[in-house]
Amino acid sequence: MRSAECGVRSEIRNPKSEIRIPNAMRPTLSLIQREFTAYFFSPIGFVTLAVFLLVTGRLFGLALGLLTEPGPRGTEFPMQTLLGDEKFWLVFLFIPPLLTMRLLAEERGTGTLESLMTAPIRDWQVVAGKYLACLLFYVVLWLPTLAYLPVLLDLDANWKPRIDPWPVVTSYVGAFFAGAMFLAIGLYVSSLVKSQLVAAMIAMILSLVFVVAAFWRPEYDAGSLTTRIVYFLSVPEHFRRDFTRGIVDTRHLVLYGSITLLCLFLTVRSLEARRLR
Amino acid sequence: MPDGHRVAPTIRLVETVPAMIVVQDLFKYYGEYPAVRGISFEVPRGRVVGFLGPNGAGKSTTMRILAGFLTATSGKASIDGRDVFWDPIEARRRIGYMPESCPLYGDMRVTEYLKFRAGLKGLGWSTRRKRLDYVLERCWLKDVKSQLVGTLSKGYRQRVGLADALLADPPVLILDEPTAGLDPTQIRETRKLIRELGQQHTMLLSTHILSEVEAACDSVIIIYQGQVVADGSLAAVRERYGNQNLEDIFIRLTGQEGI
Repeated sequence: MRSAECGVRSEIRNPKSEIRIPNAMRPTLSLIQREFTAYFFSPIGFVTLAVFLLVTGRLFGLALGLLTEPGPRGTEFPMQTLLGDEKFWLVFLFIPPLLTMRLLAEERGTGTLESLMTAPIRDWQVVAGKYLACLLFYVVLWLPTLAYLPVLLDLDANWKPRIDPWPVVTSYVGAFFAGAMFLAIGLYVSSLVKSQLVAAMIAMILSLVFVVAAFWRPEYDAGSLTTRIVYFLSVPEHFRRDFTRGIVDTRHLVLYGSITLLCLFLTVRSLEARRLR
Repeated sequence: MPDGHRVAPTIRLVETVPAMIVVQDLFKYYGEYPAVRGISFEVPRGRVVGFLGPNGAGKSTTMRILAGFLTATSGKASIDGRDVFWDPIEARRRIGYMPESCPLYGDMRVTEYLKFRAGLKGLGWSTRRKRLDYVLERCWLKDVKSQLVGTLSKGYRQRVGLADALLADPPVLILDEPTAGLDPTQIRETRKLIRELGQQHTMLLSTHILSEVEAACDSVIIIYQGQVVADGSLAAVRERYGNQNLEDIFIRLTGQEGI
């Protein structure tokens, strides 16, 4: 019975237009590949990389100075000099929006979103592809900082590490998840507007919420509710007090994770809403 | 005229084979403004249909709904039996869609772009290479294949768009003004290509060049102010309006007779 049915159907169907069931991952992988390589087509990727390395390089120089200081001066937590400082986060604030601003805003501006959204790819796959691509570039941004490691090891004549490795590891873990949050915010904003510039500006303003509160840290009363709220939200504080000192506080990771998921969810919704207007 | 031998068998096909594109009572509101007001038509398998109408009549909107870029306010549309709203992925897999003005990524090379699109459409590696060779050959893109898409002329960009539509070898092609902005030679080339592709694909194409419809299409659908005003094979439509030429019929139907 079934084979007869199949026979009839294949007769009707034009054999040249035979439709293959594709691997579900293929469209997403293809999109990740395109979005990731697109960072290297334009100068923006290289400029971001250069600025980022300039800043981390300078901060590493400062940390190195403190580590090699003779006498009682020095630093207990060298990573704190790098990532626990508001100045780093003020520069860092610009980086995720620069990476995410073009992802969807450019497509809306030039109209290529139409060819993307009429391809047989689901909205969440579009969002996942774009997000993973910028996350991958963000990881690439951090990779050159691994070059500091041999420099640190070189401080000792026998190439034995004399710094505690765990604060370094937790700092990188923290930087990954905090960056993931800022990127998701940027991607969501990028899905709402047509201009890349506006996307970057709004994303920076929203990211500022998670950075700016720490600037007034000295003025807060240590036991007050304000301090607790600021401590809960402020990424530089998380790094100054926890990640750079080798503490992984799950509250911070939960905050980063939930904001990331919320923004990605909203991005999918915003793409869906695009069809309905 | 190739019409003669095509029209006769398609009449029988309408009854036996379910239509490839079915649109029923389609409405689309942009806010308060109704762009499409109750369009219904069917396109049988293997037919090349010209989709005509003045600017703003709702052609692009209808095509965008069929391609899955917009969602209709009400009504149904299906491609090869797959509802474009309820089964969007399967429906889109059966469509090669070329948007109006053909937006492309300017920072990619032609082959890179087509490979990317083939991946998006879920083609495997071996089919991807085969289809890429085929569409490069078919759309005369061989000599520009390693050029940046952003540096291509309008004619070549249209061809890249068409090549993209053909990549997955879909049974249905929906082309929104494939000849807009081309020079006469390119228009003739594109028309030839469309006629050739019409042998293998069901096609819905919108255009403003009426001679093109007469040269390349089996039947026409004319819409005006979001509604279908004429639908049928070229010969039938001509007969209904007293064997005028298509231009006169078009102007009469779209209410600008005095001009």
